[in-house]
Amino acid sequence: MHKSLKIGMTASALGALVALGGIAPAQADGHVAQLSVLHGVPGLTVDVYVNGELTLDDFTPGDLAGPLELPAGTYTVAITASDAADASAPAIGPVDLPLEAGKNYTAAAHLDADGKPTATLFTNDISQVAAGEGRLTVRHVAAAPAVDVLANGAAAITALENPNESVLTLPAGTISAAVAATGTTDPVIGPADVNVAEGTNTIVYAWGSLTDTNLALAVQTIDGLNSSPDGIPAGEAGLVATNQANGSTGLLIGGFAVLMGLVAAAVVGLRRAAAAQR
Amino acid sequence: MRATAGTVTALAVALALLTGCSTAPSTASSTVYVPPTDSAPAPAPTTAVPPPVAKVDVPTVSSALDQNQVPPTLAPQLIRVDSLGIDMAIEPVGLDADGAMGLPKNPTLAAWYRFGPSPASAAGATVIAAHVDSLVYDIGPFAQLASASAGTEIVVTTEDGQDRRYAVESVQTVTKQDVPWDSIFDRSGPGRLTLVTCGGEFDYDARTYLSNVIVSANPIS
Repeated sequence: MHKSLKIGMTASALGALVALGGIAPAQADGHVAQLSVLHGVPGLTVDVYVNGELTLDDFTPGDLAGPLELPAGTYTVAITASDAADASAPAIGPVDLPLEAGKNYTAAAHLDADGKPTATLFTNDISQVAAGEGRLTVRHVAAAPAVDVLANGAAAITALENPNESVLTLPAGTISAAVAATGTTDPVIGPADVNVAEGTNTIVYAWGSLTDTNLALAVQTIDGLNSSPDGIPAGEAGLVATNQANGSTGLLIGGFAVLMGLVAAAVVGLRRAAAAQR
Repeated sequence: MRATAGTVTALAVALALLTGCSTAPSTASSTVYVPPTDSAPAPAPTTAVPPPVAKVDVPTVSSALDQNQVPPTLAPQLIRVDSLGIDMAIEPVGLDADGAMGLPKNPTLAAWYRFGPSPASAAGATVIAAHVDSLVYDIGPFAQLASASAGTEIVVTTEDGQDRRYAVESVQTVTKQDVPWDSIFDRSGPGRLTLVTCGGEFDYDARTYLSNVIVSANPIS
C-alpha cells in the first residue's frame, strides 16, 4: 500500500510535467522503466494483477500489452484465470519484477520447456544500432526442446533453449525466418517473413507447444534506436565552388579545357547568386 | 472547488500516463471514467463488487507477425522545384562504404534516405540529397538550391502518385564538420523535408566541398 501510494504521487508529478511540457515523454526517460507484457500461454485467457491491482483484464493469448511507463521499483505480478475475483489464487506467480529506471522490459507469460505455465522477465536491448542496421532478438518461450533459428535457410542461431534469447545485429531488411529442432533444417515454425527494420529492435518469440502443434511466432518492435549517417558527400568536381584552385594541380584533374570554362561560368554564377542572397 | 478540480485533473493526467496514452495517442481510454471538472466531489475509489475492473486501460495489440511489424514507408519518386528548373527522379538509398549517405554518381538523380521518414510518414524529416556536380556528368540541378529563397515551392511525388507540397523555410550553407547530422536525419518532430547537396569552397586536393547546402522546407497544408 505504501508503495502504490508512492507510485501514484510520482505518476501525477510526471503527468503534471507532461501537461506543462505539452509533449509525450520520450522512451528514454531517466526515472521510469518501460514494461510490456506478452501473453504466450495458448488457450488461456487471463487477468494480470500488478501489486494486487487488476491491470490487464481478459488478456488473450498472442496479445502484447504496453509499454507501460512505471517508476523504477519492484512490482509483484500475478496471473490468474480471467474469472478470478482477485489475485489470491494465481495460475502463474506471483513473481517479483525488479525494474530499473531507463530500462525496457518485456514480461512474458509462457510455457516452460515441459509445458508448464511460467513467467520470464526479459530486458530489451535499447542501445543504438549503427545506421543501416537492425537488431533481431529471438526468444524461445515455447514448450519445445532446443531449437535453431534459420534466416534465409541458414542457421543463424543454434541450440536456443527455453527461456533463453539470442540477439543479432543485421543489415536492415526482410529475412525469411524459420524455427527447427536444433541440428535440423525442417521447420517446426515458418518460414515467415520478418522485417528486421532499421534502427529497431525486432523481438521475435517462438511460443506455444510442440506437442499440441500450436507453435507460433509473436513479434514486438522497439524503434528509435537508429543512428545517423556520418555525412552526405554530394560533389566531387568543384564546378560550383566559391573559391578557385591554388596552383595548377586541381584544375588539371579534370583534364580538359571545357571543364575550365565550366568552372569559370559556375563561379561567376554562384557569386551572383551569393550576392543576390546577401 | 478549484482545488478539487485540480485534483481531478491531476488524477486524469496520472491515469492517462499509466494507460500509456502518452506513447500511443490513438488509444483513448474508454473504460476509465473521468468526471467533468465541475462535478465535485471525485468518486471515491472504492473497490467494486466482483468481477473487478482494471483501473487503467493498457494499450494492447496482437503480436502476430502479420499485424505487429514495422510497416513499409511510401517512397518518394519525383521532386520538382519549378522556379529553379529542378525536375528529378528519386532513388531510395542507404549508406556508402564509409557510413555516409550513399548518393548516385549522376547528379541528375536525387536520393532519398530510405531508412528515415518519407513524406507519408507521420513525423520526422524526409531527407533527399543529390550531387551538386560530377567530373563525368557536369553540374546537377541541385546546384540551383543555393539560390532558393523562403517560400520557394517544392513538390515531391510519392509512389502512391500523391503530390506533397512544401515551402522552403531556410537555405543554409554549413561547413561539413558543423552539420548536426542527428537533427538532419531526425525521425521525430513535425513532418518536414530536408534537401541536401554540396557547396561553398572546394578542396581541390581532396576533391571535396567543404560545406553542405541544406534546404529546410515545411509542408503546405
